[in-house]
Amino acid sequence: MAAIRCAQLGLSVAAVEDDRPGGVCLNWGCIPTKALLRNAEVLHLVERAADFGISVGEVRADYAAAVKRSRGVADRMAKGVEFLFRKNKITLVPGRGMLETPTTVLVGAHTIEARAVILATGSEPKSLPGVAIDEQVVISSNGAVRQEHRPASLIVIGAGAVGVEFADVYRAYGTEVTILEALPRLVPIEDEEVSTQLARTFGRRGITIKTGVKVSAITRGGSGAVVETDAGRFEAEQVLMAVGRSAKVKDVGLEALGIAMERGFVRVSPRMETSVKGVYAIGDMAGAPLLAHKAMAEGVVAAEAIAGRDPRPVDYGNVPSCTYCRPQIASIGVSEAKARENGREITVGKFPFTASGKAVALGETEGFVKVVADTATGEILGVHILGPEATEIIHEFVVGRTLEATLEEMIHTIHAHPTLSEAAFEAMLAALGQAIHI
Amino acid sequence: MAVSKVVMPKLSEAMETGKIIKWLKKEGDRIEGGDILAEVETDKADVEMEAFGAGVLRKIFVPAGETAPVGSLIGVIAEPNEDIAGLLAGAPAAVAAPAAPGPESRRPEPVASVVPAATGGGRVKASPLAKKIAAQSGVDLRVIQGSGPGGRIVRRDVEAAAAGPVWSAPAAATAPGSEYEDVPLSQMRAIIAKRMPLSKAPVPHFYVASDVAMDRAWDLREALNALEGQPKISVNDLVVRACALALLAHPGVNASFQGEAIRVFHVAHIGIAVALEEGLITPVLRDCHAKSLTQIAVEARDLAERARARKLRASELSGATFSISNLGMFDVAAFSAIINPPEGAILAVGSVRKVPVVDGDAVTVGRRMALTISCDHRVMDGAMGARFLQDVKRLLEAPLRLLV
Repeated sequence: MAAIRCAQLGLSVAAVEDDRPGGVCLNWGCIPTKALLRNAEVLHLVERAADFGISVGEVRADYAAAVKRSRGVADRMAKGVEFLFRKNKITLVPGRGMLETPTTVLVGAHTIEARAVILATGSEPKSLPGVAIDEQVVISSNGAVRQEHRPASLIVIGAGAVGVEFADVYRAYGTEVTILEALPRLVPIEDEEVSTQLARTFGRRGITIKTGVKVSAITRGGSGAVVETDAGRFEAEQVLMAVGRSAKVKDVGLEALGIAMERGFVRVSPRMETSVKGVYAIGDMAGAPLLAHKAMAEGVVAAEAIAGRDPRPVDYGNVPSCTYCRPQIASIGVSEAKARENGREITVGKFPFTASGKAVALGETEGFVKVVADTATGEILGVHILGPEATEIIHEFVVGRTLEATLEEMIHTIHAHPTLSEAAFEAMLAALGQAIHI
Repeated sequence: MAVSKVVMPKLSEAMETGKIIKWLKKEGDRIEGGDILAEVETDKADVEMEAFGAGVLRKIFVPAGETAPVGSLIGVIAEPNEDIAGLLAGAPAAVAAPAAPGPESRRPEPVASVVPAATGGGRVKASPLAKKIAAQSGVDLRVIQGSGPGGRIVRRDVEAAAAGPVWSAPAAATAPGSEYEDVPLSQMRAIIAKRMPLSKAPVPHFYVASDVAMDRAWDLREALNALEGQPKISVNDLVVRACALALLAHPGVNASFQGEAIRVFHVAHIGIAVALEEGLITPVLRDCHAKSLTQIAVEARDLAERARARKLRASELSGATFSISNLGMFDVAAFSAIINPPEGAILAVGSVRKVPVVDGDAVTVGRRMALTISCDHRVMDGAMGARFLQDVKRLLEAPLRLLV
């Protein structure tokens, strides 16, 4: 994104990459996992075919085929990026780049000189202290997304987005899944009601959930791995380490140039410039949230700053968060609890998908839309959606917040019928005490 | 007889909201067109609001002490048998200090969204949230510089303004021994501060100056003022009269830039700047071209006095085609003024000074006055401004023409 935007702005651009272009998102994260989750969803639908009056024979799901399809999707997207690079005359330099000076990057034996450098090395999965990720028994999302083998049993450590998405995929294909989370609930950064209802749904689907659990050791043994915790021992064929990601800041040349860091990430200005003039940093290495869409927005800011434009800084208070388990989770702004903690007088409107005509017709009625707004002004403080296509529905709220629309303007927006987005509309009406269909 | 809506009038160019000071009529009173209904406080002055329809004042929507946006419905005049139910149902609430926020008060208030729509050229670009916070915290959006895209006022701008010194109580915080103090802006100062750059920056000013021999005008004025029962004539009255006559002869100066056209006026409505404690106001003396010197003297004095008492009427605050700013009383040799858009020019008038004058081969004492005209170069060119000024000079130097 940064490279293409730079090229569009008339700069001469070289991109240094030791993998295929597209980063973690395209090659290891967002895109291939969405392909796997789609497989899980299709499988789920086929298994439910009888609900729709469709009889199918014996259902055989080939997990290796799902991974192959996922790789195919990732490969196609990477080719797309390579095409865009060619189209924009961006020179793709294979290899690892290392900052030598603020204007020179060393790639192997070659030196590339540039007026400005954008660092976008990304992040890598973290592990627990003393636990090595071997991608055999203890795997990370990197291993999980590529292994064609599906374990018979899996312990997922960490119930953030990565943890619950893989739990969803593997469970759909029949793996015995246990989720261990140190915090008291699933998806701990989301609104509490979302966590509660997701736990109920996952529980019904046979996923074992242990929250508030502290892992003390992981050893080889039993069917594969043994996880010792303060709540007992857990055994499984594989352990998926999903406790978070850390910025890739080693061997980039940051220390030598004295580029300032902050809590393990590169410190950047609102123009995405590091403490060293002319050196910019974007994406996961530049701090939370570690989301591809935040990285893309930062890439545009950095590109425009370098091209001498005056970019609007990224609005970090308005970055949507999306998790693609079933039902999907999407949110923007603060949780209800956080809004109360902030001392705002709030009004909360909630609308369940069971009352949405479209959701009932789809047969996807789990979840709700919850809107947290300021009582006095109608400002949308936070929105939390659990349910079908939650990740698509959220955007009207993101746009609304960007424009500083209040509930008043939002409810005077006609929402097409029948759509899932009507649930968003009704939740806003509910916040004003005017809901119609509940 | 039709139903007449009483709406908050636009009493000045910059006005967006008005506060009802008091209603001079109450519900049930019979109203004739032209009756004074209420006194309204604007950013510039307290003005009287006239009734436009006749009938009975059936309903008052905005009580005294509350504020309503320009164009919003504040009352209804109709005959007693007239059905006004539709108007009653759609009536907006005033932008008052918010009532205790119960579930009812969360209803969308149409008032907030009326603000930009009803103000035409003076539209304020602000987000809905910014407008609501402004209404609730009493911040005037017109004096805020927006930081959003295209200068749009967003929440942080309003919050900064609400927290800033402009809107705090007028007690200036001064630490003992401090080298300065921050005096909060009055509403009028804030408007001037916002509007003047809107003139100086976009309007390309040019200036033409001339010295006028005021000996004969001075003598004429003394003679007139010596007459029994005559209202006093000031130097400025002579300048106003001279300008009025010259404007008719030079319509190119009596003109306004309208984007795709130049509006040339056939009347001379002259704004006369009046200095006040807290700022400056320019009441408009209408139809100067058709008024005698005596009429101009009487009416200009009345306007100035009522401007100082903040008792101007709406019609007296806008619509000038040309302005005059006179700093003569401050012993000013010469100065130049900033055009008050959309007017095309403003004349700055200095003191009448006694100066040595070469008369043939002798040096005598003469009275001279400096005139400087600031012109909008989009409307006129230097020669046009110069010819106008020349005519004003000629009129003042042969002042009997001001009397006929």
